[in-house]
Amino acid sequence: MSAVQPAMPKSWYAPSKPHKFCPGCGHGIVLKALGEAIDELNIQNQTVFGCDIGCSLLSWNFFAVDSTQTHHGRTTPVMVGMKRANPELICVGYMGDGGGYSIGSQHLVNSAIRNEKVTLILVNNTNYAMTGGQLAPTTLPGQKTETTPYGRDVEKQGYPTRGPEMIATITPDGAYVARATVSKFRQMKTFIKRALQNQMEGNGFSFVECLSTCPTNWRTNPQQTWDFLEDQMESYFAVGEIKSPFGKGEK
Amino acid sequence: MEKPITGTMKAFMTGNEIVAWAALAAQADIMFGYPITPQNEIMHYWTRLAPKYKREFLQTEDEISAGFTVCGAVQAGRKAFTATAGPGNVLMQEPFGMAEAMRLPIVAVIQQRGGPSSGTVVYSQQEVTLTTYGGNGEGHRIVYSTSTHQEIFDYVIKAFNTAWKYRFPTFVMGDGYQAKMREPLEIYDPEERGLAIEPARPLVGLPGSIGVDREPAHLCNIYSLEEELYEVVLELDRAYQEIAPQVVEYEEKMCDDAEIIVLSHGVVSRAADDAVKTLREKGINAGYFRHITLRPFPAQQLRDAIKKSGARKILVAESSYGQLMRLVRQEIYGETVEICGLLKPGVGIVDHDIFDKVKELL
Amino acid sequence: MKRIVEAYIGEYASGKSENAINRALELKQAGFEVTLVDLDTVEPFYTLRPLKAWLEDRGITVVGWGPKDSFGLGEAGGLVKPAARWVLRREGAVILDIGYGVYGAKTLNLLEGADRDPDLQVLAVINTARPMTATKEDIVEYVSNLGRVDGLVSNSHLGSETTVDFIVEGHRVIMEAAAELGIPVVCVAVEDSLRDEALQADFSGVSVRFINRYMPGAMW
Repeated sequence: MSAVQPAMPKSWYAPSKPHKFCPGCGHGIVLKALGEAIDELNIQNQTVFGCDIGCSLLSWNFFAVDSTQTHHGRTTPVMVGMKRANPELICVGYMGDGGGYSIGSQHLVNSAIRNEKVTLILVNNTNYAMTGGQLAPTTLPGQKTETTPYGRDVEKQGYPTRGPEMIATITPDGAYVARATVSKFRQMKTFIKRALQNQMEGNGFSFVECLSTCPTNWRTNPQQTWDFLEDQMESYFAVGEIKSPFGKGEK
Repeated sequence: MEKPITGTMKAFMTGNEIVAWAALAAQADIMFGYPITPQNEIMHYWTRLAPKYKREFLQTEDEISAGFTVCGAVQAGRKAFTATAGPGNVLMQEPFGMAEAMRLPIVAVIQQRGGPSSGTVVYSQQEVTLTTYGGNGEGHRIVYSTSTHQEIFDYVIKAFNTAWKYRFPTFVMGDGYQAKMREPLEIYDPEERGLAIEPARPLVGLPGSIGVDREPAHLCNIYSLEEELYEVVLELDRAYQEIAPQVVEYEEKMCDDAEIIVLSHGVVSRAADDAVKTLREKGINAGYFRHITLRPFPAQQLRDAIKKSGARKILVAESSYGQLMRLVRQEIYGETVEICGLLKPGVGIVDHDIFDKVKELL
Repeated sequence: MKRIVEAYIGEYASGKSENAINRALELKQAGFEVTLVDLDTVEPFYTLRPLKAWLEDRGITVVGWGPKDSFGLGEAGGLVKPAARWVLRREGAVILDIGYGVYGAKTLNLLEGADRDPDLQVLAVINTARPMTATKEDIVEYVSNLGRVDGLVSNSHLGSETTVDFIVEGHRVIMEAAAELGIPVVCVAVEDSLRDEALQADFSGVSVRFINRYMPGAMW
């Protein structure tokens, strides 16, 4: 008797499934939204997917689209170089909060200012997960990590980075900037789809931060995981479109 | 692609300008760069010329980005390059390492300046170790070291062909003197001279429908297991050793009966050439051996020169404190010839420096 | 004595500094008080800096940094010596060596009074061995983008490989460009070692300025 295959986006790469993300991890949900968006826009053959280091790296062969690995923080310049060299490609960079807001922040900031025609998807799970749960730029005040064993002290470690707000400020018109959450799948998919469309139309820089879950490093059960995402993270990081060339933002 | 040069033209230029013209002639599509002395005029001239010939340029936020944007551009199947020096070369070792791991045909021009740290903006040959073996890999790179303006033109064109033919990151190493000196040379269209231009081939954005005509490309540089990486590195080395004999280049003069061989690379070779001629005029049997490729290293060729000459001594002359000399020691290990140095880190070497040193040694 | 103020501008490595130095030495010999001003703001290589002391020994006042003044400051291309701002108020001959760059003659805006100096002559040095000024069309386009230019210096050469034939051919192209631009060619520069042969050559009545090459000794 053959097993029933769950429905998968056409742009997913079946041989790499089941994927390797931890149970309860939000990455799979983000990547499902991205896969469905690629399918609906019918851009599988011209999309290039670039992934950062960290948990985002587990997506390197996730899609049946041409994909490339980079270095920690360097996905942005690799995709920028690719897009500049061949503007026909739809270049999608996928990274975590450490790669985007910390080690690769100069690339993110300057690419945004230059309004590079790439789409970046940044997964915010409030910690460096692959290296064992250290402080991230997005770790919430008071949140324990392996390098903030007594909780994030904002006097010592500063406040969490609010990335989309910063990027919305520094990008010119034509940029698309939003924050989504894996707790609102349909909205997240809409945001990701618009971020792709924005690149296809050549309007400008497109950026979606996705609030995501990391029960492994949060050490939370499903109830606690969802509570942390919806109660803690979503109240610190406002979800919605911050900047959009497609009319009034969706809140 | 419109040709910037037709026929052959006699020109009077600086080394940096020549790099820009040669990259155009080699059909480079795009340059990514970040300002650092002494390479700036490569960007100045590329940005003046590129729009006239429909080529592109991006000034990135730093050298890390310049290196990685080049890595992205070549994956998209476009001939891309960068240029840097000193601390910029240090920062670019990260992308150069990725290019090494993924066999990306990047081209980088290194105009060496004094080090360590910011050192001087002037001149040195202190980026030999960094350019040949920098990064957390095994040095699977191709490094040319030029000594004349004509060579800068010839070897920048060759570097693009080498990179795309063999798919190893390829470097043309000059220095602050070569960058800024001005002298006459011939610039030309390589194809008119019968030099084929190696085609660029994309690694992503490939033709055909995924799942119908082809599988998706999944390019990687990180591996889960020691054994997986081991296989990859051994395969890199096997491929590198296989192409090395076709890539290696050197220049040898008057070594047949030399009792001392003067060994040098880059701009110092000019002084070595003059010094060896003068020594011969004075009845001293000196020979000249120059590394055009520092990676792969012409080791067997040097061993042969030592053997046939019966030379008792080698004098390594370089504007660093032994970076070439260390390469020589490891590559000709076992030879009994005495290896001496004229080592002047970050300082120019002229013919009489070498002449005097040889006299002192014999 | 008539006041002489000349600014040498032009392409990178076109021979601006060489012509400026030779002109300064010539005017010194003719009895002028000479001030030579280094306004190379893009890159500090092949500027007057290494020759400063040598020129001062020959009685020329040099306004510019010496090598040690500027290298301590690292990537010191764009440093203008404050005294340079006031040089147009000096007596005698003032020779300005302007570095290359996209701003062309606009570098003169850095000098107090440059916009109303009655004696100022802005001279563009042209070498047809420079690929961006190799043809009549190239030269016209290039000079048109420099801003104010009062005359051209015909300075075609190939360094040590220069022949008089090459200079004559380059000069012919430069004369054509000058005619189209409607500005005069003030002189043709010829290295002194080619003097005898050059005296036989036809430069369409333009006076020849015999020069020595000092800059090859002026790296950095």
